[in-house]
Formats: sequence, C-alpha cells, structure tokens
Amino acid sequence: MDQVQDGEAQLMYLTREQERILSGEEGWVKAKALRVIVKVGEALGADELVKIRHAHVSGISYTNIGEPGLKFLEELAENGAEATVYTTSNPTCIDLAGESSLIDQGYLDQQLLVNKALEKMKIKPTYTCLPYMLRPPSPHEHLTWGESNAVAMANSFYGARTNREGGPIALLASITGYIYNAGLHKLEERCVKTLIKYEDKLDDLTASLLGLWIGENIDEIPMIELSTIPRIQDVKLLLASAAATGSHALIVIKGLTPLKTYIEDINDKITIRRKDLIRTYKDNIWSGKNYSLAYIGCPHLSATETLRIIKLLEKKYDRTMGKIILSIPPLVSSLFRKELEALRNKNIEVITGTCPVVARFKYRPDIIVTNSGKAFFYLRKLHRLDVRLASLNSIIG
Amino acid sequence: MIDKIIVDGYCRAEAVVIDHKISFFGEVNPRTGKTTEDIYIGGKALIFPGTRGSTVGTYIIYGLKYYGHEPACMIVYEAEPILIAGAILADIPLFLVKREYKELVKHVKNKEQSIILHERGREVLIVE
Repeated sequence: MDQVQDGEAQLMYLTREQERILSGEEGWVKAKALRVIVKVGEALGADELVKIRHAHVSGISYTNIGEPGLKFLEELAENGAEATVYTTSNPTCIDLAGESSLIDQGYLDQQLLVNKALEKMKIKPTYTCLPYMLRPPSPHEHLTWGESNAVAMANSFYGARTNREGGPIALLASITGYIYNAGLHKLEERCVKTLIKYEDKLDDLTASLLGLWIGENIDEIPMIELSTIPRIQDVKLLLASAAATGSHALIVIKGLTPLKTYIEDINDKITIRRKDLIRTYKDNIWSGKNYSLAYIGCPHLSATETLRIIKLLEKKYDRTMGKIILSIPPLVSSLFRKELEALRNKNIEVITGTCPVVARFKYRPDIIVTNSGKAFFYLRKLHRLDVRLASLNSIIG
Repeated sequence: MIDKIIVDGYCRAEAVVIDHKISFFGEVNPRTGKTTEDIYIGGKALIFPGTRGSTVGTYIIYGLKYYGHEPACMIVYEAEPILIAGAILADIPLFLVKREYKELVKHVKNKEQSIILHERGREVLIVE
C-alpha cells in the first residue's frame, strides 16, 4: 500500500503521526482509511485533520447496505481494522428482541453478519440512534457521527463539533481516529444567520411541527428563541424533524446551546406562532379516535423517557384506541425488562435496537400515528404509508 | 486537461457519458454493473457530472468492484465524499475535469466510439 499515488498531489498539512499511518506503518487498512479521510478533506478544502473522541457509525442496516455493504465491512474486519476511538452503532433492520409483529425478520441472518463484523472491529453493539445517551459529548469536542438526529443533538444541545457524515466516513474516522477540519468543526462555520422566535407552548407535537417547518423553510443555521425552557425530549423531536426535512446539523437554541460554541451574524428575523404551524400541517395532524398503529420512539426513547412512558401507560392507556409500538435501545430494554414485559401483555409492542424507517414491514398498517416529525417524514417517503402526527397524550388517550 | 487526480491509476477504456448526477444507491446495480437506464458501466471510462443521494453509494461503488463490474476509471466535473470514498476503497482511478468537461463530453458524444487513455502520474487524458 503506497501512501500517495504518483500523480496525486498532497494539499493538507499532516503531522508525523498521520504521515506514519498514511505510509502504512500501522497496516494497510488503516493507511487506506486515512487516505480516504485526507482525500475527502482536501476536496472539502480542509487544511488539517483533527483528533476525534467518539465516532457513531450509521448505514449498518442490511436493508440499505445490502450484500456490497456487508462484504465491505467483513473485509475490513478480516483485515484487522479496529475502532481506535469510542465507537457506537446505529439501529439495525431487525428487532433484536425478535418479537415484533411489524418488523420483518427476513434479513435476520444477514444483519447478524453485519453486526458480527462491526463487533469484530470493536464497535460497541449499542444499535441506537442516541449515541449521546451512552457518552454525552463535551462542548467543542470533535466527533464523527452519522445519523442526522444525533448530529443535530451533538452540535446544538451539547455544543460538540461534527458534520453530518455518512456511514462509511464515520467508520473510517473511527479506524483512524481523525477527521478533516472542515465545516462544523470550525467555529467560523458555526455562524447563526436567522433568528426564529416561537413564543407559544412547546409540547412534543408542536416541537415536531416546528422542526418540520424549519427543515422545509430555513436554509442557513438558525437560532430559536423560545419563551420557556424546553424539555429535552421536545428538543430531540424538534432537531430530528428539522434534520429530516432539511440538511440541518446545527440549530442553536438560545439559552440551551452552550455559549461560545457558535457565533452570531443575524440578518433575518422570523416569528412563528403555534397557530401557524397547526394551520400549515392541519391535514397531517391526527384527529380520529382510533389508529391501527401508534409509533413512539423516533429517535429512540432514552432510559428516562422510557420510564416516564411506562408510568404513563400503566396509569392510563385505552387499548381500544389501537396498538402502540415503542422503539428503544437494547440498553434500555435490559434496564426495564420486567416493566416492559408487563406492557407487552397490554397491546403494547416494544422493539429493540431497530428502526422502522430502515426495516421492512410484515404488513402495511392503514394509519400510523406518531409524535415524531422525523418518523412522519420518512415513513411517508420511504414506505409510502399514511402517517399522521399527534401528541403522546392524545395517543395514549 | 485533468484538473485534479483524486485517485491515480492506469486506464484504457471505451468512454461512456452519463448526462446527470448519479445516485449509485438506487441507480446502479452492483451485481449487474448496469444503471437504471440499462447502461453497462463495467470496464468503461465513465464520464458524469458527479454524485448525489445516499451515502450508501460508497458501498455500491465498492460492490461494483466486488462483483467485477467496476468502471476502468471515473471522470467527473464534481467530486464529493460518497464518490471519493468509494473510488479509493475500490481502487478505481478518479479524475476531476472542470475546465474542459464540456468539450470532453461533446467530443465523446460526437464519435461512434471513443477510447480514453490515462497513464499513471500524467495530468492528461488521451482521447482516441
């Protein structure tokens, strides 16, 4: 493995350690991985690489990556590629608890081979879209995360620095420990241009609507000014929704996003009211009495949220309204095994380490109701399902 | 006429032009090497403006190599991360041609068959 091929000019400043990796002293796999990072960085205009503390690998669902993706991961693993920094993994296309009535388990064997290759590379079998729940990032810390909702949380809520990377780059950054210093890794690129004022009550439904609206209407990095301090679960829904309909990776929330992790150069101010959001999305808001399926947990429910929802469902849940699916990380499933088992006997299904967006379904539900703008966007787009938005309170009854 | 050699390598192959940005994921079948327009790209000097769409595209480019249907080289007007990562991992020469991209496309389209030749380290493409 030669470091830089004949005609390829090297434009980036590299440290001796990076040169050493590139020349193959730590094996050709690592050299090749770093060569990709350097080349992509050069194309993006980066002048150097930065050390990362946490990589989050997306693009691991067999339904998406198929045989080529599996072969790629297996070859890396067989040739000794290993995570050199803490690395977590995104959800898979199968229910790891194996009990879902919705998620098709047809690719079980293939997905388990993907998982095996990842685990061989010392990637943590977290299978969740909440990498920040497992290791909350610090302000200014460099990360390389795939998974748009997690990227938005890392930058906006924690003040850490990551671009929206694809699965392959996140994996290669994990193997090398480095990423190019470009985009949101640089403070000057984290510049707020648009101020959005929202002065009404923010709950899960309005958070999703506001996120969808921002993603569809705002191109530059926005700052949201809220009249009350939002709940973290609502921030999560807002950011996930905006990252789904737009390409947002940083949305500053005034008073919440750590200071000095962004700069301001505001040239546009917009005020949006709850009634505007409701009017814009009125045809997409659920107003019925029943549903064939309600989907809660996009992004995955954290441990705290799961506990809160378990309590809520134990107290009040009208099972005649329809079936509820809760989507959670494997870790949370093992924390609340007994409580979740009790729910399963009540027309509530719990799926673990998976994501309906990247899975295949066993059947097509008539109407899916969800409080997540992200799930609303992707289930409609990718599965062509009839999806409506509702708050958790109205779903539970 | 090459503006930047992103992945260097030898190539001597028949030129094929695709007129739009390619989403390798969804538009190219790695098992057959064919695009949705039924164009076979294996062993060809593939000329196209750039890539778009899902980052799974990187795996598809790798898959083309795995199934033996990889292009002999790729000549693009724009190169973004999905494509660069795929080209390096699959060892497919990748050249950025900006200034003379239009002329190249026009030239190839006007001839019944065009052969593109590139020698390692050289900053020119020879079009026969």
